[in-house]
Amino acid sequence: MQPNQWVIAVIVGLPFLAAALTPLVYRLLGERTAYASAAIAAVSFGLVSLLATTGAHGLVSWTWIDAPGFEVTLSFYVDGLSLLIGFLASGIGVLILTYAGGYMHEEPGKMKFYATLLAFMGSMLGVAFAADLIVLFVFWELTSISSFILIGHYTGQPSSQYAARKSMLITVAGGLFMLLGFLLVAGEGGTFQLLGTDQALVAQADSIREGLRADGLFVPALVLIGIGAAAKSAQVPLHIWLPNAMEAPTPVSAFLHSATMVKAGVYLVGRFRPLLVSDEWQLLFVAMGLVTMTVAAILAVGASDIKELLAYSTASHLGLIIAGFGVVGGGASAYGAETGAFHILNHAAFKAALFLVAGIIAHEAGTRMIDDLGGLWRDLPIAAGVTVVAALGMAGVPPFNGFYSKEFLFEATYELAHASGGLWWILPVVAVFGSVFTFLYSIRFVMLFFGEKPETLDHVHTPPWSMRLPAVVLAVVAGLIGLGGITATVGVHIEPLEEFVSQVVGATAIDQGGEHSAHFSYHLPTELTVPVAMSATTIGLGILAYPFYSQLRTTIVRLRSVPVFSANWYYDSAVDGLDQLRVVESKIQTGLLRTYAMVLLLAVSVMTLLAYAVTAVALPSFAGVVTPVPMAIVLGVAVVAGLALTRAPSHVAGVLTLSILGFMVAIFYILGDAPDLALTQLLIETLVLVLFLLVLDKLPPFYGKARRSVVARDAVASSIVGGTVFLTVLVTTGANPNQRISNFFLERGGVPAEHGTWILDYGGGANIVNVILVDFRAFDTLGEISVIAMAALSVITLVAMRERGETQ
Amino acid sequence: MTDNEPTVIARTVVRIVVPIILVTAVSLLLQGHNAPGGGFIGGVLTAVAFVLVYIIFGLDYFETEILDRTALPRALPGEPVEDAEQKRPGITKEFSEVLAIGLALAAGSGIVAVALGYPFLSQAVVFIEGIPLFHEIEVASALAFDLGVYFVVVGGLLTVVAVVGAE
Repeated sequence: MQPNQWVIAVIVGLPFLAAALTPLVYRLLGERTAYASAAIAAVSFGLVSLLATTGAHGLVSWTWIDAPGFEVTLSFYVDGLSLLIGFLASGIGVLILTYAGGYMHEEPGKMKFYATLLAFMGSMLGVAFAADLIVLFVFWELTSISSFILIGHYTGQPSSQYAARKSMLITVAGGLFMLLGFLLVAGEGGTFQLLGTDQALVAQADSIREGLRADGLFVPALVLIGIGAAAKSAQVPLHIWLPNAMEAPTPVSAFLHSATMVKAGVYLVGRFRPLLVSDEWQLLFVAMGLVTMTVAAILAVGASDIKELLAYSTASHLGLIIAGFGVVGGGASAYGAETGAFHILNHAAFKAALFLVAGIIAHEAGTRMIDDLGGLWRDLPIAAGVTVVAALGMAGVPPFNGFYSKEFLFEATYELAHASGGLWWILPVVAVFGSVFTFLYSIRFVMLFFGEKPETLDHVHTPPWSMRLPAVVLAVVAGLIGLGGITATVGVHIEPLEEFVSQVVGATAIDQGGEHSAHFSYHLPTELTVPVAMSATTIGLGILAYPFYSQLRTTIVRLRSVPVFSANWYYDSAVDGLDQLRVVESKIQTGLLRTYAMVLLLAVSVMTLLAYAVTAVALPSFAGVVTPVPMAIVLGVAVVAGLALTRAPSHVAGVLTLSILGFMVAIFYILGDAPDLALTQLLIETLVLVLFLLVLDKLPPFYGKARRSVVARDAVASSIVGGTVFLTVLVTTGANPNQRISNFFLERGGVPAEHGTWILDYGGGANIVNVILVDFRAFDTLGEISVIAMAALSVITLVAMRERGETQ
Repeated sequence: MTDNEPTVIARTVVRIVVPIILVTAVSLLLQGHNAPGGGFIGGVLTAVAFVLVYIIFGLDYFETEILDRTALPRALPGEPVEDAEQKRPGITKEFSEVLAIGLALAAGSGIVAVALGYPFLSQAVVFIEGIPLFHEIEVASALAFDLGVYFVVVGGLLTVVAVVGAE
């Protein structure tokens, strides 16, 4: 069924609207804004459910500019994958916003916090439903920006500032790489439409792949898009921003940095899977995914803070999903898609629950240090229950939910290795190796609640229901998915869930025949297969290694402190190094307006001249062009004024000479039958003269002796710029198309001899200049007056308010 | 700006000329649709008239006597500011308001068209018959848009002049 246009509009638009209104709502409701925001999220969630239950599938779009070759369209696409991400963003949004109502009780900056969270939710829903590369990119960067604001929530703390900047640098830079990749793909396909039409990129995947290969651009495009996904989804070595992002309040960590935003990269991989499927795809993403899964799991074992542990664990699980989506060959691609699709869901459920538990622990016990915590089950029984269900799912212990998706990964890697042989056998080994560490840190997390309670731990408070309930809901979801596996073993499937995951798999499937129709189902293994043996090995090794957990951690911490092994070391060195580079300050960012103006103008001139050279523009012939005597005189005076300007002995004389030139141009307009232009030129000339004189009052009265080299340099620069402008005027006036655009305006702009009371079609004014300004090209004018307004505001902020603001 | 007091001649001329300039500016704005003129030119001319007042009578006279301004302090309350800086006049709030009104008017006139089911910023013309003296008057919806342009230009230019002049 075709989705309803307005349902999508409300799903994506409502959170933004609510974010804009949050300051007002906050004034009315105060802290209860959290629940109002949760209600907004609930509306989005309800509408996403409506789409899912009515089986909506397809494209909706609003065309803004409909010119062939220049279409600008806002388009959204609904299918399994977009619904899945939509469910996560809105559903977990409801829970997180409710939770935040309890968590943020004593925190500063709540208004900004809720507004940003809502805006983030809108952006994430936009990413999920975007059907156009540009739309996708815009929403993608919006999520990065809201993440930046939320990570830096405690604006005064250096660690927050560092973390926010780091995440911004890495994710936004990744987004730019991705944009380049988008441009390559779109350039080949001739459209930015990703999905939903016959000409969309995914629909012509084969020809795009071949075309890109023929140009040698396939691997670059793949890598560029891969970097974008890796930066967002915290894949090694770009994972380093995620642990720092834990500076944000815990609801943010649970929402953005485990359940939704970091899933954007994974989503991108899933989306592009049908488009860029190839051997290179498999190599890149399987390698990246498995390396991340293992390295991040090892680092998680080395963590000393529960949120840090969860952060590394998130990166590790995202690696698992990416590895799943990476598998496209050897008859294993269906397993790969199932791994990715199912684990997105499972991971969101158990990880968000664990983050909420971590928030409860930090809030009620007052510490997040793993070594200081233990035996919490007496004080936090509900949190303990949630943790057992969620953490065992994370560990991949049957029958909890994470087990099934991990089985699919084992199956995919095994099938792939079996079919391809050779080095591919590394994959299942690495998968098991990484999973052992996952098992270890999961169990460590569970053990926070059991064993002896350390003496340093004071009384632990009971959290409010607004904090407990969301965690419980997530744990119940995770538990139900696990339960579905048990019941499926005896033949009772949770049909809606399996049907839904089938749709997600279908959206990322690469072959049109097999996977699309394949029905997804999962259950406990009933016989001993290789993947089952792999799971058993994982758990067995984990249990054997668990007693040595603290030794393992010490070793990892020691290894991590060696600079060359740590990606952070490279990041910090690069940032510090750039910070200290003196070249930038002494040569490029001099702070002198003249340097910037010269570089800017010269660059523009050189590019323009190059363009003329490349396109071999010919100058028009000027035979038969006659200049009337009055015009020649006026222009002659202007030229003399221009020459005199260079000899002017002082600023004031210079400005006055310059205005001679300006007034001559005004007279030239009068002679050229352009009264509007002449009027404007006269007035502006007058105003500029006054402004100049006001400013000159502050400057020394005389230029002083300039050095010969400086004069020569300036003379060359101004000749180049002047020459370019001169040439441009000649070239543009030389263009003489058959259909002049001025005729179009002249025919339609005026008042016709016969007319009714109303003229609605065109201008209906005799002054064609003004009719063009206010009617034909009113949008341009609106833009121009916005620029005037902006310029005036900048003058206020730059000049008048410079004493205000950051005095620190 | 100048050390010398402006002459009586200058003051008298300005007193007489400024109203004429302002009327001309308004007429340029109104006739813009069918004769040379329009919001931009009208706005610049209005700004020029004010600048004339400002040059002859000074900034403070101009802002307090004519505009009844509300000055915003240059520094946020409670912030330490050097004494020399404190003496400079504040930022006049009215100019920014004129600016905002103009932008709102221009954008709003476009939205009206959308509300009536036409594309953004569509304009229309209506001819009203039977007016004494004129017989027929043409009223263009573009006038609202032009008025917005006018206000933005006046507000913007005066802001720049006032801020730069105050330095």
